[in-house]
Parts: sequence; C-alpha cells; structure tokens
Amino acid sequence: MTVSVVGRHPGHQARSELRSGLGYWLASLVSMVRFDYARAREWMPFMIVVQTMMGAAMALLYGFFYPQVTTTRALYITTGAPTLALIPLGFVMLPSSVAQQKMEGIFDYIWSLPSPRSAQATSTFLLFTLLALPGSLLALLVAAWRYDVHLSVSPLLVPAAVLCALAAITVGYGIALLISDPLVTNVVVNALMFVVLLFSPIVYPASQLPAWLATVHYFLPFYNMAVVIRAGLTSGVVAHVATSFIALAAWTVAGAGATAWVVGRRR
Amino acid sequence: MAEARPGAVSVAHGVGEGALQRWGRCYAVMVRWHLAGLRMWLVTLTVVQLLAGVGFVLGISLFFAHIPMRAALFVSTGVPVINLVTIGLMLGPQLVADQKANGSYDYLRSMPVTRSVTAAAWYTVCLFGGVPAMVVSLGVARLRYELPLHVSPMIVPAVLLTSFAGTMLGYALGHALGNPMATRLITQLLAFVIFGFAPILFPLSQMPRWLGALNWWFPFRHMAVVTRAALIPGVQAVTSAYIMLALWAIACAALAGRALGRRP
Repeated sequence: MTVSVVGRHPGHQARSELRSGLGYWLASLVSMVRFDYARAREWMPFMIVVQTMMGAAMALLYGFFYPQVTTTRALYITTGAPTLALIPLGFVMLPSSVAQQKMEGIFDYIWSLPSPRSAQATSTFLLFTLLALPGSLLALLVAAWRYDVHLSVSPLLVPAAVLCALAAITVGYGIALLISDPLVTNVVVNALMFVVLLFSPIVYPASQLPAWLATVHYFLPFYNMAVVIRAGLTSGVVAHVATSFIALAAWTVAGAGATAWVVGRRR
Repeated sequence: MAEARPGAVSVAHGVGEGALQRWGRCYAVMVRWHLAGLRMWLVTLTVVQLLAGVGFVLGISLFFAHIPMRAALFVSTGVPVINLVTIGLMLGPQLVADQKANGSYDYLRSMPVTRSVTAAAWYTVCLFGGVPAMVVSLGVARLRYELPLHVSPMIVPAVLLTSFAGTMLGYALGHALGNPMATRLITQLLAFVIFGFAPILFPLSQMPRWLGALNWWFPFRHMAVVTRAALIPGVQAVTSAYIMLALWAIACAALAGRALGRRP
C-alpha cells in the first residue's frame, strides 16, 4: 500500500517525511542563511563600512564634549564605545530592515516559505551578529588609540560580547515583530536611539544620573550591556557583573519569547 | 480684453497683474502647498524638534558630574542652530528624494511657478518650523542652567541667515544630487557632523586643531558663531562668519536653481 502511494506521489511523500526534525531545521537554516546572504550581498559591504565608521566616529565625538578628557572619562568612553556600536545594529537597523521588508512585501513572502519560522529568525540573528562585530571591534581600537587607554582584556569578554549582541538583536527583532506598523517602528527605534546616546550611562558612570533614572537603567538592557563589556575589558572598574549578565539574559529570553510568540501565531 | 481673444483663456487670470503681485500670489500658494505636503508630518516633526532640542539641553548635563558653565552655555546656544537647520537640511533633501522616487517631483516641476517662488516658500516653511523649537530650547536651557543669556537684535539676521544657509544647502543636496540613496546617505552623514564633528555644541578648542581648521570651510561653524554672538553678551559677531554663510547660501541656491532649471 505504502509502496504504491510512494510510487504515485514520490516527491510528496519524501517531502512530508522530511518537514520536521533537527535535520530539516538545520537544512532550512542553511538555506535561509544563503537566502538572506544573497539578499544582503548588495548592501552588506556598504553596511559594514557605515557601521564601522559610525562606531569609530562615536568613539571620537564623545571626547569632543569634554573640556578635558581625564583618565576616568577616557576609560569610560573607550569601554563604552563597542557597546554603543553594537546597539544601533540590533535596535535600529534590524527593526528598520524588517519594517522595510514589511513595506515591500518580502516579509510575507519569507513567512510563506516552507522553512520553519524559527530557522528564518535564527538566520536573521546570525547575519546581524556578523554585521555587528567588526564595528564594535574597530570602535574599541580607535578609542583605545585616541585616548591612549590600556585595557586588560579578560576571557569574560567573549560571553559578554555574544550576550550583548544576542540581547540587542533579539529585543530589536521582538520590537520589529510586535509592532505591526512599519512607520511606528521607525519612530520607536529612533526615539530609543536618542535615549541610548544621551540618557544611558554607557560612556559615563551611572552615578552621574539622577537616582530614579539610574534605577530605571538597572532594569533596561543598555546600562547592563555597558557593564558586561566593560567588565571584559578592564579589571576592578565595575561591580555587580553577575546581576548585569542575568538582566541581559532575561532581556534575551524576553526578546526571543516575543519573537517566538509572533512567528508561531497564525494571522 | 480677454473676451476679445477667446483663445487666451488660460492667461486671463494673470492679466493686469504685476510681476510682483503674481510672485506674491504664487508664493502664498506654494507655502500652502508645502504645508499641505507636510501635514502628516507636521505634528511628528514639531514633537521631534522639541524633544531633540530639550533632550539635548537636559541630557548633556548627565555627561558631567557637575557641568561647567561654559559647557552648558555652548550646548544651550548650539541647540538652537540645530533646531533651525533640522527641517531644511535633514528633512528637506529626504522629501525631495522621496518625491523623485514616487514621481511627484516631475509633477511639481511642471507647475507654472518660478524657481525663486518655490525656494522662498520652502525657506519660509523651514524657518517657521525651526523658530518655535529654538525658543523652547533656549527657554529650557535658561531655566535649567541659569545662563547669562542676553538676546541682542543681531538674533534676527543670525536666525534668518542660519536658516537660509541650512535650507539652501539641503535644497542643493536634494535637487542637484540625482541618486536618492546618495541624498539619504549624505543627510545622515550631515546629522553626524552637526552633532559631533562641527563646533556647534562645544567650543572649537575641544576639537583637534586640523578638524577645527577644516570646519572653517564649511557653514556649520559659522552658523554657531553668528547665533551665539547674538545670544551671549561680549561675544563679537564675526563678520567673516556672516560672509562665509552668505557665500554658502548663494552657492547652494545657484546650484539648486541650475538643477531645477535644467530640462530632464
């Protein structure tokens, strides 16, 4: 019986057998990465250049605001620069890119593809993480050179950088998916950027904030990102690193949860 | 006279009207046109302008444990410059790029108004879009930092020229650059330059010397000089800054005018 079915619809049977399980998921992931990469190929080199330049530029321009860049200020700017370079990619470029996809209709097309949506989301995460790292690294190098800061890099930097990238990208993706109107997404992410660049203790100590704002930042991801990256680059400067790791992990889970909830839902 | 020549119906409306009157009428219509085109954005734009201005004035104090008076003074007198040029320089080119992308650009060019009318109307909109935000930013700065501000009559030419130079630079970028992507990229780059790489929000002495010298050739430094001179007593209004700004404005207006006058 089965043999005859296979004989009549060989392709159909083979595919429905394959459409689940880890093997299929991984194969989908590979296809989606190739798909995303092929689409991104046109703007990716350009984006990497812009991203790297922006990271380096931000490292420089914060110094211009101070009459004297003291050792402490230099240390804060240098170790905050990679975090600052990372945040726009997850919180601005990713949501904007999704908003653009929604406006162009590509978003619906991707969802209609016969690959698991979790594989589609993972592929986006991978692509944007790869985009984020060169800018962060260059921002750090430029700042260290400009302010002549000596860093003591510890192995903690690796999990810190990975968790920061993950948190920024999952939360950014969650925002992009939860807000259905692309125009609202653009307004929200630009407002977020303003908060990040001016009102977040990334390139300056949290002690300079009013107490209520500092408390708010203990719960938001931005300050905690700065803490874990700074902990990986210095020794004895930051405290309560474990708390920041936990906060970031919680944000990552929340972002991934929001993403999972939206992509798992039928419209 | 018009009834004697039935074929001239289309010009009947303008018959008997002087050139200046016609210019004025077209100008009023174009201002309304620009406002109508922006209507979806007007509220958002006002809110963004106010938030950015006030946000910068208040946010800068977080960079310091105790903000020095000089730093507060520079930010508070620099933010108005940014308020003045935001619409003309940042939004203007993007609007033109959008018009080019969606085809309404050619339609606008086909309208029977002169280039000077369109440009003057757009300048008016940019000026009135920037001044309220500038006033609010200055007011907040004064309350927050108790600054020794003293508004001199020179604020009028300073504001008019700063806004004009910014608007014309944006106008030239929007009209003279063919590729909308390039326009978008350059405006974003300009935003970066204005906030961090031109001595608008901080003193020139805090930049590397070569960057300060480079800035002399660009209009932003001069915008800050003329505006600041009108707000802080004792600061000399530098004539060369006015001249440089005027030169930039004229060059950009000419560039935009040439691009607009060229037939595709």
